[in-house]
Amino acid sequence: MKQEETIDKGVSRRAALKLLGAQIGLAAAGCSKPSEEIVPYVRMPERLVPGMPLRFATTLPLSGFGRGVMCTSVEGRPIKIEGNPLHPASLGATDVFAEAAVLSLYDPDRSQVVRHAGEISTWEAFAAELSAVIGNSATRGVDGLRLLTGPITSPTLLRQIGSLRNRYPKFVWHVHDPLENGAARDGAVLAFERPLLSVPQFRASDIIVSFDADPLGPGVSQIANARGLSARRRVRKSSPTSARLYVIEASPSLTGANADHRLALPPDRIAALVVGLGRQLGADLPDPHLAEAEATLLEAIHRDLAPHAGRGIVLVGPTQPAEIHAIAHWINGQIRAPVDLFEPPGNGVPPGTLSDLVRDLEAGKAESVVIIDCNPAHEAPPALGFASALRRSKFRVHVGSYADETAAICDWHIPQSHALESWSDLRAFDGTASLVQPLIAPLYATHSSHELLAILDQRGEKSDYEIVRDSWRGNAGSQDFEAWWRRALHDGVIAGSAPAKVTPSPKVPSITTLPASTRPSLVLRPDPSIFDGAFANNAWLQELPKPLTKEVWGNTVALSTADAERLGVAEGEVLRLTVDGQFIEVPARIDSRQASGVFSTTLGYGRKAAGRIGDGLGVNAYALRSAPRARRGEANWAMAPLTVSKTGERRFVPSTQHQFTLDGEPQEVFRSYTLPEFLGLRSPSDEPRLESFFPVSEGGEPRWGMVIDTSLCIGCNACVVACQVENNSPVVGPEEIALGRGMHWLRVDSYELGRDSGDRIGFQPVPCMHCEAAPCEPVCPVEASVHDSEGLNVQVYNRCIGTRFCQANCPYKVRRFNYFGYADGQEYAGLGGEVMRLHNNPDVTVRARGVMEKCTFCVQRISRARRNAEKVHRGIADGEVVTACQASCPTSAISFGDLSEPQAAVSALRKEPHHYELLGHLNTKPRTTYLAQIRNPGETTKAKP
Amino acid sequence: MSLTLPARNASGSSRAHSLLPATMTDQAITGAIADPLLRRGAGRGWWIAFAFALLGAFAMVATMALVFMRGIGVLGNNKNVVWGVPIANYVWWIGIGNAGTLISALLLLTRQDWRASINRFAETMTLFAVAIAGLFPILHLGRPQYFYWLFPYPNSMTLWPQWRSALVWDFWAILSYLLFSIVFWYAGMLPDLATFRDRAESRRAQLVYGALALGWRGSASQWRAHRMFYTTMAALAVPLVCSVHSIVGLDFAASLMPGWQETIFPPYFVVGAMFSGFAMVVILAAALRQGFRYEALLTPRHFEAMAIIILASSLIMTLSYATEWFNGWYSGKSAERGEVAFSFTGTYALLFYAQLLCNCLLPQILWWPTLRRRLIPLVLVSFGVLVGMWLERILIIWNTLSRGYLASARQTFHMTGADWSLLLSPLGLFAFLFLISVRVLPSISMHEVKELRHEEAQS
Repeated sequence: MKQEETIDKGVSRRAALKLLGAQIGLAAAGCSKPSEEIVPYVRMPERLVPGMPLRFATTLPLSGFGRGVMCTSVEGRPIKIEGNPLHPASLGATDVFAEAAVLSLYDPDRSQVVRHAGEISTWEAFAAELSAVIGNSATRGVDGLRLLTGPITSPTLLRQIGSLRNRYPKFVWHVHDPLENGAARDGAVLAFERPLLSVPQFRASDIIVSFDADPLGPGVSQIANARGLSARRRVRKSSPTSARLYVIEASPSLTGANADHRLALPPDRIAALVVGLGRQLGADLPDPHLAEAEATLLEAIHRDLAPHAGRGIVLVGPTQPAEIHAIAHWINGQIRAPVDLFEPPGNGVPPGTLSDLVRDLEAGKAESVVIIDCNPAHEAPPALGFASALRRSKFRVHVGSYADETAAICDWHIPQSHALESWSDLRAFDGTASLVQPLIAPLYATHSSHELLAILDQRGEKSDYEIVRDSWRGNAGSQDFEAWWRRALHDGVIAGSAPAKVTPSPKVPSITTLPASTRPSLVLRPDPSIFDGAFANNAWLQELPKPLTKEVWGNTVALSTADAERLGVAEGEVLRLTVDGQFIEVPARIDSRQASGVFSTTLGYGRKAAGRIGDGLGVNAYALRSAPRARRGEANWAMAPLTVSKTGERRFVPSTQHQFTLDGEPQEVFRSYTLPEFLGLRSPSDEPRLESFFPVSEGGEPRWGMVIDTSLCIGCNACVVACQVENNSPVVGPEEIALGRGMHWLRVDSYELGRDSGDRIGFQPVPCMHCEAAPCEPVCPVEASVHDSEGLNVQVYNRCIGTRFCQANCPYKVRRFNYFGYADGQEYAGLGGEVMRLHNNPDVTVRARGVMEKCTFCVQRISRARRNAEKVHRGIADGEVVTACQASCPTSAISFGDLSEPQAAVSALRKEPHHYELLGHLNTKPRTTYLAQIRNPGETTKAKP
Repeated sequence: MSLTLPARNASGSSRAHSLLPATMTDQAITGAIADPLLRRGAGRGWWIAFAFALLGAFAMVATMALVFMRGIGVLGNNKNVVWGVPIANYVWWIGIGNAGTLISALLLLTRQDWRASINRFAETMTLFAVAIAGLFPILHLGRPQYFYWLFPYPNSMTLWPQWRSALVWDFWAILSYLLFSIVFWYAGMLPDLATFRDRAESRRAQLVYGALALGWRGSASQWRAHRMFYTTMAALAVPLVCSVHSIVGLDFAASLMPGWQETIFPPYFVVGAMFSGFAMVVILAAALRQGFRYEALLTPRHFEAMAIIILASSLIMTLSYATEWFNGWYSGKSAERGEVAFSFTGTYALLFYAQLLCNCLLPQILWWPTLRRRLIPLVLVSFGVLVGMWLERILIIWNTLSRGYLASARQTFHMTGADWSLLLSPLGLFAFLFLISVRVLPSISMHEVKELRHEEAQS
C-alpha cells in the first residue's frame, strides 16, 4: 500500500536514487559480453588433435563424373580441397570447381528444409505421401512413375535405378544433361556402331589437332588432359622438345589459347577441314573446296601427322555434327592415334531423354515425376515446353541442393546433401570408380539421392552408407570386405575398376554433302567459371576472372572485329540475338580472336532462383537452345540461323583486366620464344647483373623462391581459387569489381601475343614477387611491410594503418587493400552468414577493414613444414612445402622451394636458359621468377628476326 | 563600386613605389581595419556567404563521418589507383598554405614592403589551409584511428616509425609547419590584438582581446623584442616553407613508379605551391577589398605584384613540365616515355590539356599590364590556376597509378559522390573558418601598414 502511494505521488528522492542505481547496474551488466559456454571434448574422437588438420580422400561430381580429391578437415570442418594423385581425373591437381566446392557446402542459400507447396514440411511427411502415391500407382500397375536425373555414373545410383526398373516394370529413367554432347555420342555410333567414349592420351602425343574441341577447357577431363599435355610440353635445356598443338576453332577457348597454330573459322568451315583431312588420308569424301589459308594449314597438319603415326591425335568438338565426329574417329584409326575407347557407364538400358519425358507428360503417361539433382526448368530449350508439361503430372518431387527454378514448379522439394556430406560413388571420365565419403555430418536436414531412391524402391529407409557399401560387397573378392573398403576409402580410388578398353575399327560415314554454310551462327560454351549454371551461387566462382576475357559476375556475347565493324557495334552495346523466334539480349564484347560470322556466349547465367549470389546475373543462353531436332546427333552447341539486332542499350560486365596487349618492352614482362630460338638462348648466368647502391640482404636460409613456367600455364584458374580458399580471401561483389577492386592475391594475367606468335595467349600467374629489394618496404611509415629471416616479404596486418603507399610503389601491383570490411562485417550479399565462418582456414588471419594484404607464399604451410621438421631435428626437404597454387596446378607449372639448396627443383629451374625476372630491369631481385613461354610452330611459320 | 582598379599613380601625387594614399593617418588606418569588426555588424553579404560556408562545412563533417564509419571504400580508389582525391587535396591545400608564410617571411626578409597589407590574411589562410590539408592524410588512411603510429612514442610493442618512408617525413613536415604557422601568425598579430583591446567597446570584447594580447603595451622594449623575434622567425620560416612542399614532392619522388621517380619534384612542388598559394591570396584579397571596403589598403600595386609572381611561377611551371617530358623521353625507358605519352593521349588527356591551359597558357595574359591591373581578369586567372593546380595534383596520381609498368594492371579511376564531396566541401570549411576569422581578428596588419605609411612619409 505504502509503495503504491509513493508511486501515485511521484517517485521519492530515495526511490529515484535506487532506480538510478539499478539502471546503472543493469546498463553495466547489459554491456558485458554475452556469456558463451565452451565445452571441451569429454571423450576425444580418435585421431582428432586440435589444430592438426586431417586429410581424407573423396570424390566430387562434375556433370555426373567424378574427380578424386583429398579434403583437408580441421576440427571436423572441411576447409580445403586438393587433388588426389592416385585418381585418374585428378592426378594430384584440381580444377576451379573442385577448389570452390567448400564454399558450396557452407553456402547459406542452400536448401535446408523439406518443402511442400512452398511450406516447410518434414521428411517423414514426404515419405508417407510418397508411399501413398506409389502404393496407389502400384495397384494401377505403376506406369506413371518417372525419374529424371542429371548424367549419372555412380555405380550405386545405377544399381538402385536398375532395381527400381525391376520393381516397377514400366518405370522409366530419363537423363537431362545440359552440356550433353549428343553429336559425339552419335558420331561414335556412326563410326563404331555403339556409343563408345573416347579418351585421348595427350601424354603419348606429339601432334594434337583440335577441330573446335576444348580438351583444356572446363570439364570432367580438363585436369588429366592438361597434365598429359604438360608432360609433352615441359621444355628444358636437357629435353628441348614440345608437343605441337593445332587448334581450329569458332570462338576462343583455352585450348586455342595454348595452340602453336590457331585458325578461327565458323563451324561449317571447321567441318570442311575435317572432311579435307579425311580425304587427304584416303577417305571417300566430297571435296570441301578449301580456301587458301585453310588449305595451307591442312597441308601443314597432314605433313605433321604423317611421320607421327601413333603419336598424333585428332579431336572434334561439340559444335560439329555426328558425321564429322565419325570422320575424326576414322582418322584417328588411320593414324593409330593414342585414344582409349570404352563402353560408357550404364545399367544395361539406355535412359530416356528429356524430350521423351515431355512427350509422355503431354500424353498424360507420366503421373509422378521425381527429379534428382538437375534443373531442366532453367536449362531445357523453351521450345520444349518442359515447365508447362511438368505441371500436367500429378505428383512432382524435386531433390536438389537449392530450391531452384525446377523446385518452384514441383510440389515437394527435398534438400539434397552436398557431396562432402554424404556417401556415394562416382566414375571418372575414364571409367575408374571411387568412393564419395562425407567429411562432415549434414549441416541441415538434407538427404542423399540414394536415400530417396531407397524409399522409392520401398525397401525401407536405409542410410546412404549402407546403400553404397551394398553396391561394393561383391567386389572385395577373396579379400575381407572391411579391409577392401578401408583401402578404397583411403586411396580414394577403387583399384581395377576402370572398364576394359575396346579396339573396334572405325568406319567412314558416307556423306555426300557438307554442312551448309550457316552464318551468322551462335556458338555456346559452358562457362569457364560457373560451368553449366550449377555453380551460379558460388561467389568464389562468380568472382573468378574468366581466363580469356577476365570478366566476372556475368556473361557477354563475343563477336569478331569484322562483324562489329559491319554491324556498327561498340563494346558493351546490348545485342538482341534471335534463334528460331527465341531471343536474348546480351552485352557485346569485341574479340579479335573470334571467327568472323560467329557469335559466342556462355551457358549458365540468367538464373532466377539460384540464391542471393547467382540471381539476376547475366543472360540465360539456354533460352536459345533449339529443341532437340527430329534426328538425333545434331549438334546443339552451334545454332543457326542467328539474327542479330541492336537494342541501343549499353551494359558492361565488370572485368579485372583491361589491356591484353603488351607494349613498351615486352621482354621485360612476358617472354615468348620458338623452340629454335630457345636453343639459341644464353644461360641466364651470362647476363650482366645489375648493381645496387644499397646492400641488399638476401636473408637467412632457407631462401624461399618460386619459379612459374609460362609455357605450361594453360590459364585454367585453379590456382586463383586455391589461393582464395587457402588464404581466406574475401569476395567483394560485382559493384566493387566494377570500381576496380578485388582481393585475389594471385592473378593470371593474359596477353594476346599476336599473329606472329601463332595467335597464342600468354598466361602469366602473378603472385607476390617477394622481392629481395622490395619497393613496398621502405615506403611504409609504420614498418608493416617487412622482410622475414627466410627472405619472405611479409605484411604485418595489425601494424598496417592503410596508407597504401606499398601498393602505389609496387611495380607488379600485387597487393590488395580492404577498402571495406569484405571479410569483417561488410560482406557481400549473404556471405557474412554465421555458417560461412566455417570455411575459413584457421591458420590464416581474416583481415580487417583498412589493411593491406598480399600473397605470403603460403607462410602457414612453410611454418607447418618447419615445425614438423624441427620436431625431429632435420631440415625441410625439397618439395615438402607445397603452396596452395602449386598444389592445384594441373600442369605443375609452379615450382616452389629453397633457392639456397643447389639440388632443389627451383634452383635448377633458375639455371634454365629461358628463365627471367618480371621487370628485372628494376633490380627488385624478385624471388618469384618465370620461365619464358616456348612455342613449337615448326617450320611453317616464318622465323622471327 | 567599380571593379576596375585605379591605374597606378592615378592620384598623380604619390611616388612610383607608393602603396598607400599619402593622406591616410594612423587613426584612419586603424579605423578602416578595426571599425568594420568592432563598431559595425556583419553585412548581409557576409551572412549569405557564411550560410553557404556553413553548408559546406557541414558537408565536410558529414563526408568525414561517412568515410570514418563506412570505410574509405566510399571513395573511388581501386586496387591499382590506391591514392585519389584525399592525397590530391592534401597536396593542393598544403600548396595553398605555402603562400601565407612565403609572403610573410620571404617578402619580409627581401623587404618587399607591399606585403604589409596582405600578409595577415595570407597567414590566416595558411593556417586554415594547412589545418585542412592535415586532415586528408588521416582521412585517406584505411585505419585512421591509428594515425598516431607515425609518431615515435614509447609503447609496449617497442615499435617505432619507419624513418625511410617519405610519409614519416611528411608527418613531421606538416606538423612543424602547422605549429610554426600558428606561432608566427599569433606573434605577428599581438600588437593588433592590443589595438583591438583598446578600441573595443563592449566589456566582453575588451576582456577577450585583452587576454589574447598577452599584455602588449607597445613599449619600446616590447617592440624591440617583437621585431627581433619576428625577424628570426621569418628567417626560420623560409627553409620551412621550402621543406614542407619539397617533402610532399618526395612522397612521389622517393618511389620507383614512372612519372613519380623524378629529381625535379621537390623544387617543382615548391613553385607549384607558391603558384596556387598566390592565386588563392589574390582571390581572398579581392573578396576582402570588396567586402570590407579596403580599397585604400589593398591597392592595385598589391595586385600587380602578385600578378607578376603568378606569371613568373607559371613560367617556371611550364619549364618544369617541359623538363619532365624531356626527361621522360631522354631516360630512354619505355615506361617513362609511355607515361608521358599516356598524359597526352590516355584516359585523362582532356583533363591534362585543361591543366596545361590553366597553368601555362591562361596566366600569360598577365603580360599585359592593363589586364593584370584589372581585378576581374586577375581573379579569373587565379581561379584558373587553382583549378589547374588541383588537376595537376590529381593527374600526378592518376596518370602514374592508372598506367604503371604492367599492361595488365592498367586501371581507370572513377570519382564517386564521396570523392566529389571530399573535393568541394573543404572549400566550405575553409570559407567558414576564414569568414569567422575576418569578423573577429584583424585581417590586415595594422601596425605594419602604419609602419609602411611612416616609412613612405619619411622618404
